[in-house]
Parts: sequence; structure tokens; C-alpha cells
Amino acid sequence: MWRMFLAAVMCVAAGMFLVGMMAADGISERTKKLHFSSLVIDTHDDTTQRFLDDDFDLGARNALGSIDIPRMKEGGLGAIFFSVWIPSKIKGPEAVGKALQQINAVHEQVGKHSGDMILVTTSDGIREAHKQGRIAALIGIEGGHMINSDLGVLRKFAGLGARYMTLTHTGNTEWADASTDKPAHNGLSPFGKDVVREMNRLGMIVDISHVSDKTLADVLETSKAPVFASHSSCRAICDAARNMTDDMMRALAAKGGVIQINYHIGFLSQEFRNAEKAHPERDKAIAQEVQKRCGEKEGCQLIQGDIITREYVLRGDLPRVEWTKIIEHIDHAVKVAGIDHVGLGSDFDGANMPFGMEDATKLPQITNALLEKGYSEGDVKKILGENTLRLMADVERVSRELTAAK
Amino acid sequence: MRLVRVSLFACLLAAGFLLTQVATGDDIADRAKKLHFSSIVLDTHDDTTQRFFSKTFDIGKRNPDGHIDIPRMREGGMNAIFFSIWIDGRIMGPPAVQKALDQIDAVHENVIKYSKDFAFCRTAEEVRHAHAQGKIAALIGVEGGHMIGNDIRVLRMFGDLGVRYMTLSHFYNDEWADSSTDKPVHNGLTDFGKDVVREMNRQGIMVDISHVSDKTFYDALEVSKAPLIASHSSCRALCNHVRDMSDDMIKALAAKGGVIQINYEKSFIDQAYKDAQDKFSGGVVAMMDTLKKECGDNEECVNKKMTEMADKATAEGKLPHVSWERIIDHIDHAVKLVGPDHVGLGSDFDGANMPEGMDDCTHLPQITEALMRKGYKDEDIRKILGGNLLRVMEANERVSKEMQAAQ
Repeated sequence: MWRMFLAAVMCVAAGMFLVGMMAADGISERTKKLHFSSLVIDTHDDTTQRFLDDDFDLGARNALGSIDIPRMKEGGLGAIFFSVWIPSKIKGPEAVGKALQQINAVHEQVGKHSGDMILVTTSDGIREAHKQGRIAALIGIEGGHMINSDLGVLRKFAGLGARYMTLTHTGNTEWADASTDKPAHNGLSPFGKDVVREMNRLGMIVDISHVSDKTLADVLETSKAPVFASHSSCRAICDAARNMTDDMMRALAAKGGVIQINYHIGFLSQEFRNAEKAHPERDKAIAQEVQKRCGEKEGCQLIQGDIITREYVLRGDLPRVEWTKIIEHIDHAVKVAGIDHVGLGSDFDGANMPFGMEDATKLPQITNALLEKGYSEGDVKKILGENTLRLMADVERVSRELTAAK
Repeated sequence: MRLVRVSLFACLLAAGFLLTQVATGDDIADRAKKLHFSSIVLDTHDDTTQRFFSKTFDIGKRNPDGHIDIPRMREGGMNAIFFSIWIDGRIMGPPAVQKALDQIDAVHENVIKYSKDFAFCRTAEEVRHAHAQGKIAALIGVEGGHMIGNDIRVLRMFGDLGVRYMTLSHFYNDEWADSSTDKPVHNGLTDFGKDVVREMNRQGIMVDISHVSDKTFYDALEVSKAPLIASHSSCRALCNHVRDMSDDMIKALAAKGGVIQINYEKSFIDQAYKDAQDKFSGGVVAMMDTLKKECGDNEECVNKKMTEMADKATAEGKLPHVSWERIIDHIDHAVKLVGPDHVGLGSDFDGANMPEGMDDCTHLPQITEALMRKGYKDEDIRKILGGNLLRVMEANERVSKEMQAAQ
């Protein structure tokens, strides 16, 4: 009880501190009130890879990267999906073992900071954590290759707390085509459909970020529960295969799904994309520099990739992309798919962030910009997290129905 | 449904009672039955898990082969079982991890499928609760440290999935622990092996020293902060097999609060059989290796063929007959050595060759009766049937809590 009181006092103090500090950033009082009383959920963060580095502490304010507990608190981020990710070229049982390591790394980090964070697996769990003033930590598996075509492994991942799985990463799995690989299965194979059905039964959200357009169509046909794109943006604004067309967003929304907007500049800005394409040698040079700085350390690679890209931008070698591009994508998706079908999936610590969205502390700007655009407070809350919570509750209900029917 | 089961159970009990009256008119038999069917009867080692992958096996039905299924567990009064996760010890690294996950999943799925009869348990308290509800407590043990793929994080995830003991090795050395049936290469436990033991203590996963070399056993005993178990080992003084424990080892195990769970495998309990088997097939490891070549990755097939081969050899007079009463000899020897607080049951059902008269788990009440006839006190029999193991589990849970709080 005393601890809760103390936490409450500290929260108020921190809040007051923030209010004082942020006035200079042009964030309105109304924004602060709304943002810090809302459940802000981010469905995709690659911070997990950093957990495997010995020197990273989620509890300390870090100079690099976008996510840690102090900055999540400062930015009012109330729930986070830690992404379990390994490159899709790693296959077979090795992928299973590496995924287990990362799931354990999330458990260990959350356990280490149990005063600030709690591992949850349901929408109610997120709300309860929020009430307690703790950050809700969840787990998403980014790439179906990590189950090695084994439903038993999928079930054990769910048992260990994984609450969504992205069906592919950049390469095809043995049962699903990716958007950035040559199609090999014409979407989902029959086993891929079994995977989707089993995820429905387990109450795992089917994540269609990264998958090919045909895979998405197959998923929408197969899944009994609404699905989401954990970190994808709009192809109408930036023509990347990783983004969703207006038709795809409409189809997703028609089945109750949500598109969680990705902040990666290569997915936000056509101009940036064009510049990247015009100079493929830069991409190569960036990759080489990353290798030089990090070796095989994946956590480091993701962070340094962002830093080196920004060095190119500052030298004028690549165009500068502002954070307001995120708002453009949100607004476009709302217009196309509807206010109930858009959310946030930053890709923090795994992508190149636009100027002004360097880390989680900048999140109140999104709330501020949406209010300024004339979005109602209720609508802003939906985008910040309520849409994701509704989707989760739907997925949980379908799981209960399917297990009861057995 | 429940009523039907209860009345069926009552009928069986009454029938058993009547039969006993007719057959023996014996007071001890009655008392033994009452004691047995009111006790937690816990078996720490059953290889039934491998059968879950067979299309013909259904644990919910009475099977014509093997030793374990729900109807026979009910009939034998066996109400707590450690399903063993086992793959050949030469499979290592990530493939071993994935296969172990598959078997853990198979246990989970079968427990869910038969949730009217089974309750999945992780603690001694949960086992007691399951018993009070009339359910069979299902637990998981991993038989062989090779399945963690040299990765402490995988061990932790096994713990989270409900694994409650791990045997440090199987027939072959791991990369960090010597086995009793392989050439020593680590002089017991390596430094990493010691880390594994400490992490098991922290996770509340019991350290199982069945299968390991004598030196590995002493190393584990020295490192572990919690009492150890031998999940399925017998007494070397009665049958000189490296898989069994010497009197000194049993004493050392007991001195630290541990428990030896007696294995019913014929070649571990009977010297004459063991000697004959060594001549016949070069011993159990060589025999299983031959069968592995026939069966490939099908673990159930290995277990099944092993039984068939042994039965045939016995019928042809190439291997001697072994009576189930040898189990009692081993229990009694261990009790005489270290007292009734450090002995329990680890049958190796569905993974070994059973002695005559212990053809499956329906025969378990015989053990209770035999011990009673030997003059064992009721409370001591209850300890052997399951109480001792639950005490060791609780001690492990306590150590785990202390270690986690100290962090």
C-alpha cells in the first residue's frame, strides 16, 4: 500500500516535471492531460536484441536507441510488444532455440524491473498493469520461421507468453510468402493455414506485416479472428512492398483488424525511398559500416543502422524526413480504413526514425498533432491504444469459443 | 459423469475387497488396500511420453500393451506421474531443444485432452490439491541435460513450461556432465555443468542424478543447494550395475535430504539377469543402440522392441526370470541403509523391462502390501509411495524462492 502511494506520488511528481519541461516543445496542456491518462500501446519494438548484450540495462536511461524504462515513462508509453526476431536466413531448429533465448531475455528483463514492468498476455492484463502504474510488457514473434514448421513449438511459444506472430520476416517461410521475396507458395500453403487456425485457437494475434499481398488475402479468408499489421504504413503515400495498399487496409478493417503505423523513414517517405533506390551503393556502404561497428551483435546493428543513416542525412546525402510524416500516414489510414482500425507500431530500436521521433519520449507529439488536426479525444485514444485492446479482446474471445467448441 | 466414475471406482474397490476376502481372508491385504488407495502414489519416471506420438496409443483408453494409461493408473491407485521427456543422448544442440519442446507439448496437450482425469502440476501443493480432487497429478521431467542445447536460457524456458526435474545426462555424456554408461571426459561436472545445477536450484527444478557417473553425482551433491533425487535408480549392493547407486552414494544423497526412487528394470534389480543380459546383448546401452538403428527416430519403437526382445529371450531360456519381489528387496535395502525418509518409486514404466508380476501399473498395490507384510509402518509406507518425493519438491521450492529473493 505504502509502495503504491509512493509510486503515485512519484508519478505525480514526474508528471509535473514533464508538464514544466514540455511546455517549451509546444505540447498543449490538453494534449498532456489526454496523453498521460491514455493507454499508449506500441505493438513493435526491437529492443529485445539489446537484452542479449551484456551491458544494456532497460532500467537506465540509455544514450543510444529509443526505448528504456525512463524514456517510456517520460513519453507515456504504457504497453510495449517486445519483438522476438532473428534474420529469416536462420532456419530449422536453430531458429527455435534462438527464439527461446530471446523470449527468456524478455522474461529476465521484465523480472529484473518488476517494480516498473509486468509481463502480461491479455487486454485485461494491460489495463490492470496500467491501473497499477506499471508498463505492460508483451511478446511478439517477428517471423514464422522461428517455429520451424512445428505447431508444438508454436503452442509452447504461446505458453511462454507470445501474443502475436508475424507470419514471415523479409524472406518466405516454408509455408508463407513474404512481401520482399519471390513468391513460392502463392500466399499461404495448406500448413500455413493450419498455423493461422492454431493461432486463432491459442489466442495469438495473426500479424500480417511483412507478408505478401496474397498471403494477407489468404489470412483474411482463413482467420476466424481479426488480424493486425503490427508495424506497416500506407503504400499510397510511400510505395514500399512492406506497406499496405488502400484496398488491403479496407479488407483488414472489414474483418475488424488494425494497421499499426510504422515510423521507419523508408516506409514513410517516398522521397527517401527514391533516394535510397537511386544510390544502392549507399545502402551497401551503410551495411559495411554497421558491420564494422557491431560485428554480429544484432542489437548494436539495429541501433547503429539508424545512427549511420542519420549521418548520411545530416551530410545531405539522403533526404531529411520529419516525424510529421507519421501523422500523414495515420490520417490517411483513418480516412481509408476508419478510426477504429489504426494504431501505433513504431519499429523503435529496429528501424530508422524520422527527425523529431528519435525515441519514446517524443510520443506526446502524436497526440498533440492529432488533436490539432481536429481529432476528438475519444478518437485519439483509439489510435493510441484502444483499437489494439479491442482487437486483443476479440482475438481472446475467438480463442475461448474455439477451445470450448472442441 | 463424475457420479458414474465414482460408483465405478466404488464397485472396483468393493470387488477387490470381496476377492481379497475370498482369496485370502487376510486382514493385512485389506489394510494395505485401504492405505494404498488413500495415499498419494507418485511415480517419478515414466516413458509414456514417447507413445503420445503413436497413432495407435490413447492414454484415455485401456491399452493392450505398455504399462501406463488412465484406466490402469486408476486401477493401480497411481495418482501422480512424472512424464519423462527423452530423446537419444547423441542428439544435441538445437534439434534436441526442439524435440524436447515437442514432447513437453505432447504432455500438455494430453493433459488438456483428459482434463477430467489429469491436472498439470508444478508444485507439491498442486499435487496434493489434485489428489484431493480425485485427479491424477501430471508432472514433467526432462531425462537428459543434452536437451537444453548448452543454453541456460533454454533450461529456464523448460522450467517455465512446467519441467520439474532434469536428469543431468542420459546414456551418453553431455557436453558438461559425465554419464555412468560412457567414458568420462569431464571428470564429473564441468564449470558450466555446475552453473546448470545452480540455475536449476534457482528455478526450482529438481536435480536428478540417475544415469550420471559417480563423480558427476558427487559434484552435483556438492554444488546443489537443494536436495537431489535419483528419479529411477536401484541399489548397486544388490545388482552391480553402473546405473544403480552404491551404498555410499545412497547415504550421501540421504544426508543432504535427497531421495532414491527405485527403478523396476530387470537388469538393474537382478544380478543374475544383468549378467545374462550382458552376455546376451552386451548390456542395456548396446541393446538400445542396436534397436535405435532399427527404429530410427521413433522412440516408442525402441522401448517396445526392447521389451519384445527381452520377453522372447526369457521365453527361450536365454535370460532368467525375475520376480517383482526384487523391487521390494531394493526398497528394503535402501530403507535399511538410510531410513524410510529417503526412498521412493521411479518405475521406468514404458521405458524398461518389467519383472514378472509388475506387468503394468495395476500391480502397484502389491508393493504396499509387501511392505506392510514386512512390518513397515503405515506412515513410512506413505512416505515411500510419494510423501518423500513431495518433501524434496517442497525443499526445492523453498531454495528457489530464497535464491530468487536474494537477487
